[in-house]
Amino acid sequence: MVQENLFYTKDHEWARIEGGLATIGITDYAQHSLGEITFVESPSLKKQLNTHDTLAVIESSKAASDVYSPLAGEVSEINESLSSEPELINKDCYGQGWICKLKISKPDTTHLMNAKQYEEYLKSL
Amino acid sequence: MNDVKKTVLFEKHAALAQKSQIVPFAGWMMPLWYKTISEEHKAVRTTAGLFDCSHMAFLKIAGKGATDFLNNLLTNDVSTLKPGKARYGYLLDHSANIIDDVIVYCIAGDNFMMVANASNEQKVKDWIAKNKTGLVEIADLKDAALLDARVDLALQGPASAQCLKNIFAVDVSVLKPLSFVYAKNNSLDVIISATGYTGAKISFEIFVHPSKAALLWDTILEVGKNLGIIPCGLGSRDSLRIEAGLPLYGHELDGDFNVSPFQAGYGWAVKLQKQNFIGKDAIAKKINPDTEVARLKFDGGKGIRPIRQFDGILNTEGICIGHVLSCAAAGDKQIVLALIKKEFNTPGKSVGVYYTARNAGHIQQGRKEKVNLGDKLTADIKGLAVERFEKF
Repeated sequence: MVQENLFYTKDHEWARIEGGLATIGITDYAQHSLGEITFVESPSLKKQLNTHDTLAVIESSKAASDVYSPLAGEVSEINESLSSEPELINKDCYGQGWICKLKISKPDTTHLMNAKQYEEYLKSL
Repeated sequence: MNDVKKTVLFEKHAALAQKSQIVPFAGWMMPLWYKTISEEHKAVRTTAGLFDCSHMAFLKIAGKGATDFLNNLLTNDVSTLKPGKARYGYLLDHSANIIDDVIVYCIAGDNFMMVANASNEQKVKDWIAKNKTGLVEIADLKDAALLDARVDLALQGPASAQCLKNIFAVDVSVLKPLSFVYAKNNSLDVIISATGYTGAKISFEIFVHPSKAALLWDTILEVGKNLGIIPCGLGSRDSLRIEAGLPLYGHELDGDFNVSPFQAGYGWAVKLQKQNFIGKDAIAKKINPDTEVARLKFDGGKGIRPIRQFDGILNTEGICIGHVLSCAAAGDKQIVLALIKKEFNTPGKSVGVYYTARNAGHIQQGRKEKVNLGDKLTADIKGLAVERFEKF
């Protein structure tokens, strides 16, 4: 399941860009691969991130998986619900399972895929 | 990837599991889970679960010299094994390194079936070929061209006996552990053995000709539907065996810490009073280890970071007394199998876990990637030592 109007990475993160803010999460493909998510290590507020810096760690009984930042910016909000309900990522990865918001420093998205490109990419895996 | 093999049930897995959940394991494409690990785990504890074990190694060892040959190869005593009975033991090299842990089934006087781990299949075959004498015949029972070919499906959990009764009209609930019987109906001819790897008191493995494995799979799921029987993948196989305290080769046997059968709690399967077996002198020196495998229980579930292999086990003073070998979620608990100093392995004793670094960021923050016995650390989560094994 891929959603329109989002940007995607090869590591299966998504970004929803609205104004100068980007909401970040992991894709349906990623949450399926991880299985039942039991723990999320969220970034700290105001943390400065470069593109591809580690933004969060998501853990299931199967694996601990780093989440990389699709964009550069400053962490402006984190999804507090994930500390007690990490399974929101399994249930609703593009909605209630968002991880954090970034105040983006560069609006450049040329390194990211759109929904159609990501779908093609998934087929190639 | 090209040499990753498909089991005779691959099409079944492809139909039932997501593509991304079917992964290479010990050279075979195997399902990690069909729905979720926790549902499949729960099914085995409450109803029953069906596992594809057809990737394992099934070897026929027969002929006049078979009993003597096996008795020299295995740590356990095969000379007293009667038809219809099976025995667990180890293949050791001359330095007492474990080649594999296996179960040997006595089919008839001079005819045995050895079931070994898929990951060790080649190693076991090579070792057998190297030590074989003239009076022994070896065959790979996965070879469907053989009339007596066999692969294995495991049906584990309380509802399994009823399911098998419905299919084969036999009462296997009376079978003693490590015993087996023949059963058949119009289309299937099987061996049902009271063995398994989940800790379920009522649990069976069903050995079937590879050409009939898919039919057996479908039949069990069809008949088992009303009994709540579901297919289970490797994920729950691992969480169930950890919860029960059963060792896995490479973790609680051999592996990074070179764990011996004595440390694993299986000294009974090493018969030092037997006249001879390969590795006997070397393993006799390992009889009194100062560390052993312990089963530990911690809180788990939502919002708690999962414990992982190589994390440190701490005593109440924060001193590292051992390492995690395996860990699994079981309900809202985490069950850990760890190699720890013997004096701390008492049920009820408090222990802690130090989480080793999960990524580069953790290392930058000063978290250790690796811990050593005697290190002074702070526990990230606290729990208790529990009984070494648990039956369900």
